[in-house]
Amino acid sequence: MIAKGKNVVLDGVSMVFGDFTAVQETDLEIRAGEFFSILGPSGCGKTTILRMISGFLEPTTGRVLIGGDDMAGIGPNRRPTALIFQNLALFPLMPVWENVAFGLEARGVSKSKRRERAMELIDLVALRGQEEKLPGDLSGGQRQRVAIARALAVEPAVLLLDEPLSALDLKLRQHMRAELKDIQRKTGVTFIYITHDQGEALTMSDRIAVMNQGRVEQVDTTDVLYDDPATPFVATFVGEQNVFRGKVAEVADGFAVIEGPDGSLRGRNRSSLARGAEAMVFVRPERMQFLNGAALDNVVSANVDRRDLEGPFVNLFLKRDDNEIMVHLTNSGAAGRDLEGEQRIGFAATDALVLPAGELARD
Amino acid sequence: MNALVRTYGRTLTGLFVFLTTAWVIGMIVIPQLFMVERSLWVRQESTQLSLQIDRLYNDISLLRFDAQAAPDIDKPAVENKISKIEEQIAELEAQEKTPQKVYTLSNYTRMSGLHFKIFVRTIIYAAMVTVLALIVCYPIAFAVAQVATPQAAAFLMLGLIVPYAINELLRVYAWLMILDYQGVLNTMLQWVGVTNLAKHEWIPFLESPGAVFVAMVYAYILFMVFPIYNTLETLDRNQLEAARDLGAPTWRIHWRVAIPHAKPGIAVGCIMTFMLSAGSYAVPQIMTRGTSGDWFSQTIYRQFFESNNWNVGAAYAFTLLIVCIVFIFLMMLVFRVGVRDIAR
Amino acid sequence: MTTATLSAPATPVRKTREGRWAGVVLNVYLVIFFVYLFAPLLVMTLAAFNAYDYPSVTQWRGWTLKWFVELAGDQRILQGLWNSILVGVGVIVVSIPLGLAGAFILTRLQSRWTGLLYGVLVSPILTPGIILGISTLIFWRNFEVPGGLFLAMMAQATFIASYSMLMFMARLQRQDRSLEEAALDLGASSVLVFRRVTIPFLAPTIFTAAVIAFLQSIENYNTTVFAIGGNWTLVTEIGSRFRFGLSPVINVIGVIFVALTIIAATIYVILKERDRKARAAR
Repeated sequence: MIAKGKNVVLDGVSMVFGDFTAVQETDLEIRAGEFFSILGPSGCGKTTILRMISGFLEPTTGRVLIGGDDMAGIGPNRRPTALIFQNLALFPLMPVWENVAFGLEARGVSKSKRRERAMELIDLVALRGQEEKLPGDLSGGQRQRVAIARALAVEPAVLLLDEPLSALDLKLRQHMRAELKDIQRKTGVTFIYITHDQGEALTMSDRIAVMNQGRVEQVDTTDVLYDDPATPFVATFVGEQNVFRGKVAEVADGFAVIEGPDGSLRGRNRSSLARGAEAMVFVRPERMQFLNGAALDNVVSANVDRRDLEGPFVNLFLKRDDNEIMVHLTNSGAAGRDLEGEQRIGFAATDALVLPAGELARD
Repeated sequence: MNALVRTYGRTLTGLFVFLTTAWVIGMIVIPQLFMVERSLWVRQESTQLSLQIDRLYNDISLLRFDAQAAPDIDKPAVENKISKIEEQIAELEAQEKTPQKVYTLSNYTRMSGLHFKIFVRTIIYAAMVTVLALIVCYPIAFAVAQVATPQAAAFLMLGLIVPYAINELLRVYAWLMILDYQGVLNTMLQWVGVTNLAKHEWIPFLESPGAVFVAMVYAYILFMVFPIYNTLETLDRNQLEAARDLGAPTWRIHWRVAIPHAKPGIAVGCIMTFMLSAGSYAVPQIMTRGTSGDWFSQTIYRQFFESNNWNVGAAYAFTLLIVCIVFIFLMMLVFRVGVRDIAR
Repeated sequence: MTTATLSAPATPVRKTREGRWAGVVLNVYLVIFFVYLFAPLLVMTLAAFNAYDYPSVTQWRGWTLKWFVELAGDQRILQGLWNSILVGVGVIVVSIPLGLAGAFILTRLQSRWTGLLYGVLVSPILTPGIILGISTLIFWRNFEVPGGLFLAMMAQATFIASYSMLMFMARLQRQDRSLEEAALDLGASSVLVFRRVTIPFLAPTIFTAAVIAFLQSIENYNTTVFAIGGNWTLVTEIGSRFRFGLSPVINVIGVIFVALTIIAATIYVILKERDRKARAAR
């Protein structure tokens, strides 16, 4: 029912404000019809990229292409994009249906046709009966849906979403994630979703770009991003990680052995580090286990510090000198409650990732 | 400019720029410059011109005398000569009647002793009105902004707005009735035996410059209350309570917490009150019923509409403007506030 | 810890005592102040109903409404009122567009010149009114325009536009800029954005600013008296009457002003209260 999505290409795009570089030269292709997220901490440049795609900013260098057409000099009102703002930006003095129909009004569609089309979209987002209300009289979730309907009314090829769920409470946020994903599938429109919430990005996206300090660190599908991060920043920004530092002592068959204060640890040598390089070993908490007789490639001993019960799983924190180690246990009944004192924990070399030492994401 | 064009397009942005330019140039800057220009010249009657004319008249008399004394002279030639000189005189006299524009500072420097006295007195009175208004108004603004409950504050605000909304002239007129010879004050004094109205024994309040002063405080006091109120309203009440809880006496709470917070409002209130009183034409005009010239604004008015000497009037007006500008900068310096804090 | 909790009550006792004294002094002061504010208005009002020929409350000759009748037949005053209304409407027409244009430029333009422009645009507020009248009079004389209603309107608009501009700026600074961006993003032309988003947002302020501009114009004396020439407005007519024998007719005008102000203020308070209740109900 709605025009199929278009692809978006950033070709050497950068953005400089005065002497501050918001976005360094970036090449990026977002495929037609995919749900693409740009993930990063606040101030990383993700909103700047969004505003360059929507046309509110002209890039300092490079080109933005949508469906193969260069967008240089084309204002936001003539681009095949629609933006859902962080605060939604619903027109407070217009009733819901006029909000939804505003894009059509801008295109000179007659009032009866506008109303008809707006009602279709109001049905799509399950708001029938609310069409005469003002946005101020709606709940958070309803306002969210009005914003989506309003953006879809102009039949955009690309829908840009600027953290639209951040103002909602947790339950509603989880519900709206599913709804957004569903609408994206139904309409086939390309979704570009900006967020600092990695959980949100992982659950909804087909692919994710992780940004830090104006630079895209990695673009990959969600699974690859989680299991095979390219940089220490991505490794620690997406999900939880245990980190061990050291120097590369040995390399063989795509694996590397790291010597450090935690002993010698073996992991996948993803970026082909050479001997002597400063390195970090990353292991997910859920890939670590307490040794009870089983033989594992790597073993570390540490003292149990505290236990956090999260419900379906349990987080156990252990101390080894300055390093804190986190182990994730499935809660099969009071898991880990009787663990005390020094424990030996281990992990497989295939579950450990060796990356060159670098900047970690701050919590 | 780009941000404007992007949001409102070329046409609307062009309209905004055009209107603002017309306002700045056509209504603010150029009229002021014209006023200053006007203050910088006088029409001068050239003394040289009249000397020259006198000399030519002498020449004519001499020629006539010669013609009479010597009958053998060529009369038509002399007449011709005389008529030529007369033409010259007519030309010079015409020049003398349209005097020349001469640029000079004399409109400023030649202010008479009386006018200068009025000018200085006006500035001093205006400064006194400002100080008195500040002292009277600060507690009021504080009470309405901080002490009153919301309902009481709304009621008090109403009480402040009603007199504020009534015309300046009528506000002053009310005071005229009180201070008049047979006014309320003199009548009340009669009750205690100080005056006797039947025998025309009254205190002539209206004849003292103090009458203008009193009416002026009354007329402009509210221009002091509102700016201070606006700043004090934003002061978090917890700050006052914290200060009191730490053991500060009332005066110190005001000196260290409330007044520093109200500084921009105090500056604005002082500037407005000073400017209004120094430039007030209504108050002195009504309190003196247009008979005496106690205030500089009245002097200026007379230069324009009675002496018909616009150049001197413009010079006086510009002098008053300079004083007000100096006062504004003084306030900005004293209270350490910027232009943006003023006029909000 | 224990000693600190025990000694704590000492402070509140001192606090309340001193606080209460300050409160009493302040309340007494407030009463005196409001008497000072309203007593002259009361004197003026009473004299409007006194049958004595000279405005007075002490020479009481009995209640009358004859001054109201006399006012209704005073042609110069009625003509002055009409002139005031004409000037006031003119001031609205001139100063609202100017104020809007200035506010848009100052709030939307990022430049180091905006500070200077702001200073120039608010300067008429800080300039004595007589100087605005004088400079307008001198300026227009070059175009052979003599003093009159037109010049009074232009001189008043010079500073009333500044007040309007400050009101619009305050409103625009509270505007959510993303609304205009959202409208643009949905394909609206800049004119449509202006008509459907910006103007509706500003509408209440435009209304208020127009009312205030009109009132300021009607009330103005200092500027008008220099620019009005041989013509007159209600207020300059009142001003010129003080020269020749006073009459209680002027008090009647005062009473009407007071009554209108109180009615307007009451309506304002009622509307505000209703608005507050409606908001609370929501």
